[in-house]
Amino acid sequence: MKMNRRDFMKANAAMAAASVAGLALPAAASNLITSSEQTKLEWNKAPCRFCGTGCSVIVATRDGKVVATHGDAKSEVNKGLNCIKGYFLSKIMYGKDRIQTPMMRMTNGQYDKNGEFTPITWDTAFDTMAAKWKKTMKEKGPTAVGMFGSGQWTVFEGYAAVKLMKAGFGSNNIDPNARHCMASAVGGFMRTFGIDEPMGCYDDMEAADAFVLWGSNMAEMHPILWTRVTDRRLSAPHVKVAVLSTFENRSFDLADLPVVFEPQTDLAILNFIANYIIQNNKVNKDFVKQHVNFRKGQTDIGYGLRASNPLQQKAKNVATAGSSTAIDFEEFKKFVADYDVTSVSKLSGVSEHKLIELAELYADPNRKVTSFWTMGFNQHTRGVWCNNLIYNIHLLVGKISTPGNSPFSLTGQPSACGTAREVGTFSHRLPADMVVTNPKHRAAAQKIWNIPEGIIPPKPGYHAVEQNRRLKDGDLNCYWVQVNNNMQAAANMNEEGLPGYRNPENFIVVSDAYPTVTTQAADMILPAAMWVEKEGAYGNAERRTQFWHQMVKAPGESRSDLWQLMEFSKRFTTDEVWPKEVLDANPQFKGKTLYQVLYQNGNVEKFPLSDMDSKYMNDEANHFGFYAQKGLFEEYAQFGRGRGHDLADFDRYHEEHGLRWPVVNGVETKWRYREGSDPYVKAGTGFQFYGKPDGKAVIYALPYEPAPESPDEEFDLWLSTGRVLEHWHSGSMTQRVPELYKAFPDAVCFMHPEDAKKRGLRRGDAIKVISRRGEIKTRVETRGRNKPPVGLVFVPWFDASQLINKVTLDATDPLSKQTDFKKCAIKIVKA
Amino acid sequence: MKTRKILSVIALVGLSMSAMAATIPADKVATLRQVPLDIEPTPPVMPKVDNTDVEKARSYPMQPPVIPHKIDGYQIDLKANKCMQCHSRQSSTYSKAPMVSVTHYMDRDNNFLATLSPRRYFCTQCHVPQVDAKPLVGNDFVDLHELMKKEK
Amino acid sequence: MVASLLAKLKVIWGVIRRPSVHYSLGFLTLGGFVAGIIFWGGFNVALEASSTEEFCSDCHQNVYHELQSTIHYSNSSGVRATCHDCHVPHKWTDKIARKMQASREIYGQIIGTIDTPEKFEARRGTLAKHEWKRLKANDSQECRDCHKFDSMDFTRQSTRAAQMHSTALASGEKTCIDCHKGIAHRLPDMADVKDF
Repeated sequence: MKMNRRDFMKANAAMAAASVAGLALPAAASNLITSSEQTKLEWNKAPCRFCGTGCSVIVATRDGKVVATHGDAKSEVNKGLNCIKGYFLSKIMYGKDRIQTPMMRMTNGQYDKNGEFTPITWDTAFDTMAAKWKKTMKEKGPTAVGMFGSGQWTVFEGYAAVKLMKAGFGSNNIDPNARHCMASAVGGFMRTFGIDEPMGCYDDMEAADAFVLWGSNMAEMHPILWTRVTDRRLSAPHVKVAVLSTFENRSFDLADLPVVFEPQTDLAILNFIANYIIQNNKVNKDFVKQHVNFRKGQTDIGYGLRASNPLQQKAKNVATAGSSTAIDFEEFKKFVADYDVTSVSKLSGVSEHKLIELAELYADPNRKVTSFWTMGFNQHTRGVWCNNLIYNIHLLVGKISTPGNSPFSLTGQPSACGTAREVGTFSHRLPADMVVTNPKHRAAAQKIWNIPEGIIPPKPGYHAVEQNRRLKDGDLNCYWVQVNNNMQAAANMNEEGLPGYRNPENFIVVSDAYPTVTTQAADMILPAAMWVEKEGAYGNAERRTQFWHQMVKAPGESRSDLWQLMEFSKRFTTDEVWPKEVLDANPQFKGKTLYQVLYQNGNVEKFPLSDMDSKYMNDEANHFGFYAQKGLFEEYAQFGRGRGHDLADFDRYHEEHGLRWPVVNGVETKWRYREGSDPYVKAGTGFQFYGKPDGKAVIYALPYEPAPESPDEEFDLWLSTGRVLEHWHSGSMTQRVPELYKAFPDAVCFMHPEDAKKRGLRRGDAIKVISRRGEIKTRVETRGRNKPPVGLVFVPWFDASQLINKVTLDATDPLSKQTDFKKCAIKIVKA
Repeated sequence: MKTRKILSVIALVGLSMSAMAATIPADKVATLRQVPLDIEPTPPVMPKVDNTDVEKARSYPMQPPVIPHKIDGYQIDLKANKCMQCHSRQSSTYSKAPMVSVTHYMDRDNNFLATLSPRRYFCTQCHVPQVDAKPLVGNDFVDLHELMKKEK
Repeated sequence: MVASLLAKLKVIWGVIRRPSVHYSLGFLTLGGFVAGIIFWGGFNVALEASSTEEFCSDCHQNVYHELQSTIHYSNSSGVRATCHDCHVPHKWTDKIARKMQASREIYGQIIGTIDTPEKFEARRGTLAKHEWKRLKANDSQECRDCHKFDSMDFTRQSTRAAQMHSTALASGEKTCIDCHKGIAHRLPDMADVKDF
């Protein structure tokens, strides 16, 4: 049979479409190409690269390229669906401006802080870096070097980074961008339950009778979870959805009870609900008696600003912010009694009947209720309190750890849980909820890592916000940023971030796949492999660990962060960076490279290349000569096994579409702390909050306290910032996908038409958004998807040309050190 | 054909060589910005939404089609779904709008339902209109067809 | 007190009953004319005042806010359709008839049928259906007051608009409101609305 070229192409097209959809073309269609060889695609699973939902996607590759992606029908999380971003994952790696070679600012062949970016080799890059690191550590000690990582690191990368910083350089100055995202949630979990991460899981969504969203615009930020909530709400008409926010957004489209409240008054609303439950005799007395303790938390704790800030000086209890004292139920009852419906309605601007309707959702013993929250609670100067207060409510009525009864903290990054939190890439943490301040925890880490005592410092390092301050002050001088765009993210860029990076005393290295504004402020840029260009593991918001294989090669000289970290460690010896007294006491470590100490320690190099599935590439393993990912994972898993954080064997995760820890005897755990569901709960106890020594969770008495900065005569509007559906975080991936770019190319300022009219503005006008710290130019949007009330505006932060973090305030929650990106005072004038 | 291939290889090598040698001023490195960090540029005027009603080609078969028309004020909430006024099975013959794909009638476990699956209710989670804005950066994504052509 | 009031009323009644006994015929004619002008003027002022956005939005607050973000409020040419353009008939007799009907709404306001957003929301479907029914019955007259079919240039419409207007609208099979529900306000629950 002869086919001309046109026929052939047509036949091929039909076949490609058919094979992709999994349909077989009838063999009788003989004028078509029926050879599966010619139309074959290689399909593999991977978790989505974007948010913390953790959708599984199926990725098609051909000739070394990703050519298509779709939702994984076998994944419990998304059951075949993706959001608009997920559907375009195939294009995120192919932006024309991928960084393909290391670059350094140079003039006349020499490093120059003010030079132009000049391509260099990896050797030159690492040699230069190593010289800077060694000089700095020699002169100023390990606290002068630091690293800023991410909840987008793979588990292996985050773990290798923690080891390099804490066990190698002996510095706790490592923090992830998850500090901006999840730190308050962690603080809430640790304070109330003594163990991190949600007790429930996504299955709660199919079981709940009511959903309450507290400062979470799930419709845009967690679209696939929103499909599950929508499915439940529309399929079961008795289900109620309450949406609370400081402005009306797309989630309100599903709301039976829409609630717009005055910023910061969520604290009062939460206390009102607790009060309502008590006053109406709806407390689950048995549950409270058996499983709950009461404590009163410290108040007037400041706003995590620089010590020189007058607001900070005014606060009485900055030093003891995290302390609390034991109280009883009666004292708690008295404490929340002040939060009656009349006064809370007046404070919050929410009508009394709405407040009561909301409280009733929790109080009604016949209603299973799931609460969701994200940045509205977490990016809050009282974020940990908000988290504590929502647990108060669920604990008072005993609606917890059972299907549908779930206080559920959602996450923003694909591995905020899996890497940042579980691996513990924070300045105060170690893997599996251990902390550097606890000598027993340090000892446990030393044992697993096989390093001597005295390397892991007992004092927490600089957290994310502190890092920028210390860069500016010249205390932190060598700084490595991986997989994130903090120059576009961190608040108060003009006064902290930018002067910090450009401080002539500092050397800033940024590893990224694309040139971001953070690379623009850097001194050296390292090209990074991304997503399926390397083998990886992420952990999502419901404790689900998911693995993927390397499917394609990274372009040019790009290397994964794992390769970069391990390779860099080869340039240091213990004699150069470890204290002399430690080496004298442990002479067997003398003269070794950090690579040998950290990654050839008997654990990490244990698994040979033959353990790999030969079907897949693995550039790191082949480079180092052993299955590095497996070695790192199995060593890391030792931290949590038997301690409530059990992970399954490495190989199993490549087979499964994710498993929720603790995985005990090969079985995942859906609901923790409940007998029969969680293997750690002893028989006969019913519930056991085993993160606390006495197995009891804590209800905290915590008050409403005002925001650090609120609108006044000059700066007369609230500013809230956040994301949009089509772009993920700073847009460094999604702005390079043509369809996503064309869906939402530039940031705008969403405002109420009356606020625009008052200022003589109309839709599309160029304006300046000005705070005490800086300003940006943007355009007025009065018709968009977000409908703020009079007195508040919303500006998304994905746009590299509209750096709204010049405007935002770097006030943080004093407990979690997380920035409040949702509240500051601004004014708007015509540009 | 062969000469063209060789030529393109030479061109590619040349290009990457020049890229290797070239230096980039720091303020030009961030492709999506292109201005110094301490300057705030005036944003472009608000772009117009593509309203041509001409369906755009999909990058791969399972890509959700983009919306080739304006959806200003389209209500999709507990009360009404404006999109389905034209795109439902019943109305598509009359409205001449494409019927939503058959997958939209399937529940979580792939059972077919009589009408639109509630999990697919909020159309704009996957389908978006396109504005008249030129992407700041090109994208080298290769269509399956192009790949197969090359193999040929 | 009551007695004096009765006496006064008696005098007034006397004048009304037999005006010519008290006033000249010329005065009466002129006076009647002036009073007519004043009355008519006042009537029209009241009619106009009760047709402004301010008057309507006093009670229908939410719907007025909703209108503000739509094409009928703000658009490229700056021609604004305000409440009465769509909701009050332009023909005088129809207008008066509609205004008489509106007295019911005054009553509704007094007893507070829609005096909170929640109450309005509960009535939204009923109110919307009244308007759809009225527009359906008069072949979308208030739409057509501005959007004249004869003046439509299909080549300047989007493809899908031209396609519908040149067929269903042209043949009279459909009228504007059949397809264009919810263009100026949020839609009510559409579960039982035909063709939606």
